[in-house]
Amino acid sequence: MAEESVTFTLPDLGEGLVEATVLEWQVGVGDTVGRNDPLVEVETTKSAVVIPSPKAGRIAELHAREEEVVPVGAPLVTFVVTVSDDAPQAGIVGKVPAEERPTRRVRLKPPAD
Amino acid sequence: MTELIDRTGTETQEAPVVELSMQQAVNRALRVLLAEDPDVLVFGEDVGTLGGVFRVTDGLQKEFGDRRVFDTPLAESAIMGMAVGLAMNGWRPVPELQFDGFAYPAIDQIVNQVARMNYRTRGAAPMPITLRLPSFGGIQAPEHHGESLEAIFAHTPGLKVVAPSDPGDAYTLLLQAVRSDDPVVYMEPKARYWERRPVQLREPDEPIGTSRIVRPGRHATLVAWGAMVHRCVQAAELAAEDGVELEVLDLRWLKPIDAEGLAASVARTRRAVVVHEAPLTAGLGAEVSALVTENCFRDLAAPVQRVTGFDVPYPAGPLEPQYLPTIDRILLAVQRTLEF
Repeated sequence: MAEESVTFTLPDLGEGLVEATVLEWQVGVGDTVGRNDPLVEVETTKSAVVIPSPKAGRIAELHAREEEVVPVGAPLVTFVVTVSDDAPQAGIVGKVPAEERPTRRVRLKPPAD
Repeated sequence: MTELIDRTGTETQEAPVVELSMQQAVNRALRVLLAEDPDVLVFGEDVGTLGGVFRVTDGLQKEFGDRRVFDTPLAESAIMGMAVGLAMNGWRPVPELQFDGFAYPAIDQIVNQVARMNYRTRGAAPMPITLRLPSFGGIQAPEHHGESLEAIFAHTPGLKVVAPSDPGDAYTLLLQAVRSDDPVVYMEPKARYWERRPVQLREPDEPIGTSRIVRPGRHATLVAWGAMVHRCVQAAELAAEDGVELEVLDLRWLKPIDAEGLAASVARTRRAVVVHEAPLTAGLGAEVSALVTENCFRDLAAPVQRVTGFDVPYPAGPLEPQYLPTIDRILLAVQRTLEF
C-alpha cells in the first residue's frame, strides 16, 4: 500500500464558465473524506453549487480561502490517497474480477473404468 | 500455479522468470517487436498518449515515438482500413480495437480486405497485420464491451485466430502472431489481464496452431481457450477432490486448430467437454466436437459435451455470472460423460 498525493483543479461548472468564488469549505486539512462527500460550496455567475469530492482520501491542502475567486483549472484541493499495489484498477469501463476461492455444488462420481 | 507442460515433451528453452500480469506481458512483447522491426506500427484508440484503456501500450509512445505508436480517430473501420494500406506499403501493423464489440464496424475491412488481400493479389500483397482485440467477458462491462467473436473470425478464410490464456503465452503468442506474414486476430481475455503470475518470457519454439496441456488428467479432457482455461483448471482442481482427474487442454490457436493435439488428448481420456463463452449455436465448440468425432470416434466413451454461453446477446455486466459457463455447469457436463 502506497500513498500518493492528487491535486484536484476547479472544473468548468457550467458551459464555459471561467471562474468561481469559494463560499464555504465543508472539509478542513487533515479530514478524511469519501468519494462524493460534499467538499466545497462555490458560487459562479450562474448559481451556487456544492462540489462533491472526486476522491476518497485525506485532505492535505486547501488552495483557496473563502471569498477567494478561483479560475477554472487552478488547484482547489490536494488529497492524499492510498494506492493499493495488489488491487489493480480496471480500465475506463469494467471491473477487475475478484479472485475468490472457487466453489461448486456438483459432486462427481469417478467412472468404473 | 499450474505447471506448464509442453505437449511435445521437449524442454522449454530457459528464459528468466519474472512476475507479470497479462497486460504487462503483452506490453513487453510489443516492446520487443517495436525494437526488433522498424516496420512494426502500433495504433488504435487511446493507445498512444493514454497508453491504452487497459494500460497495455503504456509507455510505448514515449519510448518509440508518435510515428510508431499513435492514436487514431474513433473509427474502427478506418483503423483497419489504414492497416490494410500500411501493410500494402511494407509496414507490419499491429492495430488495436479497444473492445471486441467495437470490431463489428470494422468487419467489412477485416473480412473483405485484410483476410482476402493475399488471395486477391496472388500473394503480391500479404497482410502481416495482427489485430489486438481485448475480448470476452468477465469484467462486468457495459453492452458492446464484452463479446466472443472467435467463431466469426475462425470462419473467415485467410485469418488466423489465437487467444492466450495466461501472461506467458500472451507474450510468446504475440511474438509469433506479429512475426507471421498472415493476418492474425489476437484475442486478449480481459478477465485475465490483471492476475500476476511467474512468467517465462519465451521466444516462440512451437509452430503456429499448437495447443498446450495445462493440466494432465485421465478421465476426461476439458477443451478451452482464453479466460475459460482458468475456469476449467479450477473445475479440474475441484473434480480431483472427488477422485476425477480432468485434463485441461488450452487450444490457444482457434484457427488453425490443433486437431492432432486434441485427438491425442481425447484418445487418452476417452471423454471431452468443450467450454466457451460464446453462444452455443454454431460456436467453435461445434468445430471442436466435430474434429474429435472425426479423429477419435472409436476412442470415445461418450458424446462430446459443450458448455457455453446461451443463445442470447452477450448480457451487460450484472447478468454476466449467469451467462458465463460456471464451474457447476462444467462439472455437470463432465458427469454426463462419465455416466454415459
